[in-house]
Amino acid sequence: MDKHDTTTYSVQLYIYDLSRGMARNLSPIMLGKQLDGIWHSAIVVYGDEFYFGGVGISSCSPGGTMLGSPDTVVELGNTEVTEEIFMDYLSSLGENTYRGDKYRLFEHNCNTFTNEVAQFLTGRKIPSYITDLPSEVLSTPFGQILRPILDSIHIAPPGGNIINGRHS
Amino acid sequence: MADNGGADPVNNNNDTTVGLEGTIIKVTVKTPKDKEEIAISEDASVTQFKEEISRRFKAKQDQLVLIFAGKILKDGDSLNQHGIKDGLTVHLVIKTAHKAGDGASSSSSVTTQVGSSSGNSSGPSSAAHPSTVGSTGGPASAPPQTPNILTGFGGLSSLSSMGMGSANFMELQQQMQSQLMSNPEMLSQIMENPLVQNMMSNPDLMRQMIVANPQMQQLMERNPEISHMLNNPELMRQTMELARNPAMMQEMMRNQDRALSNLESIPGGYNALRRMYTDIQEPMFSAARDQFGNNPFSALGGNSDGGVQPSRTENREPLPNPWGSTNPSEVGGSTGTTGSSATGSTTPNVSNPLGVNSASLGNGMFSSPGMQSLMQQISENPQLMQNMLSAPYMRSIMQSLAQNPDMASQNPASSPSAGENPAQQLMMQQMLQMFAGGNSSSQTPEVQFQQQLEQLGAMGFINREANLQALIATGGDVNAAIERLLGSQPS
Repeated sequence: MDKHDTTTYSVQLYIYDLSRGMARNLSPIMLGKQLDGIWHSAIVVYGDEFYFGGVGISSCSPGGTMLGSPDTVVELGNTEVTEEIFMDYLSSLGENTYRGDKYRLFEHNCNTFTNEVAQFLTGRKIPSYITDLPSEVLSTPFGQILRPILDSIHIAPPGGNIINGRHS
Repeated sequence: MADNGGADPVNNNNDTTVGLEGTIIKVTVKTPKDKEEIAISEDASVTQFKEEISRRFKAKQDQLVLIFAGKILKDGDSLNQHGIKDGLTVHLVIKTAHKAGDGASSSSSVTTQVGSSSGNSSGPSSAAHPSTVGSTGGPASAPPQTPNILTGFGGLSSLSSMGMGSANFMELQQQMQSQLMSNPEMLSQIMENPLVQNMMSNPDLMRQMIVANPQMQQLMERNPEISHMLNNPELMRQTMELARNPAMMQEMMRNQDRALSNLESIPGGYNALRRMYTDIQEPMFSAARDQFGNNPFSALGGNSDGGVQPSRTENREPLPNPWGSTNPSEVGGSTGTTGSSATGSTTPNVSNPLGVNSASLGNGMFSSPGMQSLMQQISENPQLMQNMLSAPYMRSIMQSLAQNPDMASQNPASSPSAGENPAQQLMMQQMLQMFAGGNSSSQTPEVQFQQQLEQLGAMGFINREANLQALIATGGDVNAAIERLLGSQPS
C-alpha cells in the first residue's frame, strides 16, 4: 500500500490488575475457577493515557493513576488518527455512551471503552481474556450472588483529569 | 453515471451488478453516536463513499474523517485499496467545522477577530450547532476561526458537562459574549465593577479557581514553574493588581515586550523565545480559554493567567480579550440580580438569586437585552442555577468560602428577593460571599489549619509559629507553605 508521508502514532494498551495479585491467589477458592487478575485497561496514545471510569472518560500521563505502573503493556499497533480527531472522537463518546453515569461494572466498563477505542484507532480488538472477564465471573455461583453488590461499584482510579465529564 | 448503491433507492439489496459497477458491499459506518449501514460499490473511491455518507449523516463532506484499521481514508484512495469489504466497519468522526491550524496562527486569528469585533452576528448562527459540543475536547484543539469563534470557547461542551444541558442557555451565553466583545466600553465597565474588583483581590480564591481547572493541573504537571508561580502569593497579588488595572497591565506588557525584543537579538534568543511560547503560553491560553465555559466564576481566574504570563514568556499578541469572553458567564451570574432590578420584574427566587442591589453594581451594562434574556432564562429554569451551582468548580469555591462565614454578614442582600426557600437563601449567601470578597475568617487560623499544622509537624517543621505564618500566608496550602518555610531558612 502506498503511503504519502503520514505520521503514525503508536498505540498501546496498559493493563492493570486491580486486585494486585489477590485474584490469582484467591479466585480458585472463591470462585471455583482461576482468574489471573481483575483487569482494568487503558489506552495510551499521544503520550497520554485514556480510560473510562465512574466519572467518565479521564486522561492522565501514562501510568499516572493511583494504580501505578501497568502489569502488562500490549502494543496495539499504529494509527494515523491525529490527536485532534481523537479528542473530537473522545468528546463525542464522552457525551453519549461513555458518560460517567453509564458506567456498568459488568457490561460497560473500562475495558469496553478500551476495546472500542482500540478498534477505532487501529482496527484491532484488545485481548479477549480482558473482555471475557465479566462473563467469567458471572458464570460462577459466587459471582451471581455478589452481582447486586458488584453492579453498584464504579471503578474510578484517581489521578486523572476528566475529559468532558460529569461528576456523578 | 450512477455512482453507487445509494443512487437507486429501491435497490438496497446485496445484488450483484444491478446495472452498477462492481459488487455492492455493505459497510457499517460507525460514529461515536450511532452507526449506519451504507451500501456501496466495492470499487468505489473514498470520495464517492463520502458523498453517500454525507447524505446519510447530514454532514458536509469535508467534515468527514473516515478511519479504517488505523488509517485515515483519503479522498484519492479507493475502498479496495484499504481492504474494505462487505460487513466490515469503518469509523467516522464528523469534524465540528473548525480545524486546528498552528496554535499560534489560530490564536492570532482569534485576536484579530476580537480586535475587529465584527464577527458577532455569529452568535445565532453558531447557536444552531448543538452538535458542536465536542469541539474543544482536548488541549490540542485550537480556537476556531472567525465565524465560529464563540462555539469554540469550550462554553458549550463544558456547560453541558456541568449539567446545564439547555441549548438555550448556551445561545444566550454566546449572545452575551458577542455583545461584550463588540463593546469595549462594557469591558472597562465590568472592570470597574466593585464586585469584580473584590473578587480579584482575593488571591486564594483566584488560585483555587485556577488550580481547579483540570487543564491547568495538567499544565502544572508539565511545567512546574507554573505551579511555583501560583503558589507564590506575592506574585499572585501583583498579578491581580495588574489584572485589575488594565492601564497598568498594558504598561507592564509593553515593558515586557521591549525587554523580550532585546532578547531576540541575542543569537539563539529567538529560538528560546519561541520555545517558551509554544511550551508555556499556548497551553495556558487553551487552558484559559477552555476555562471560560467551565466555570462562570473562574473566568477571571483564567484571565489572570494572562497576567502571570508576561513575566516569563514573550507576549506575541494582545491577550485575546479575556474579559470579553470570560465575563458573560461571570456576569451571567450577577445578571440574575441586576437584570431583574433593571427591568423591575419581581419574581422572587431564582431570577434574583443573588439579590444584590443593582445600584451597587453599576447599572449600565446589565440592562442590555442579552443580559435580561439570560436572567429570564434562569428564572424560567431554576434547575439551571442548581446545576450551575453544583458544578465541581463551584464546590471548591463554596468550600473556600464556607471557611469565611463572615462574608455572609457583609451582604445586605438577604432582602425581599431571598425568597422563602432556605436552601436558596444559603445559596445566595454563598454566592454573595464570593462577590463580597475579603478574607476574614471566623475561626482562629490555628484551629482552621490544624490539620495542615499537623502535617507540617510530621514532616519535621517544628517551628509551629513559622508554620502557622506560612499557612496563613498561603491560605492553608501545605505545599506552598513548605516552600515558604524552606525559602525563609537560609541553609
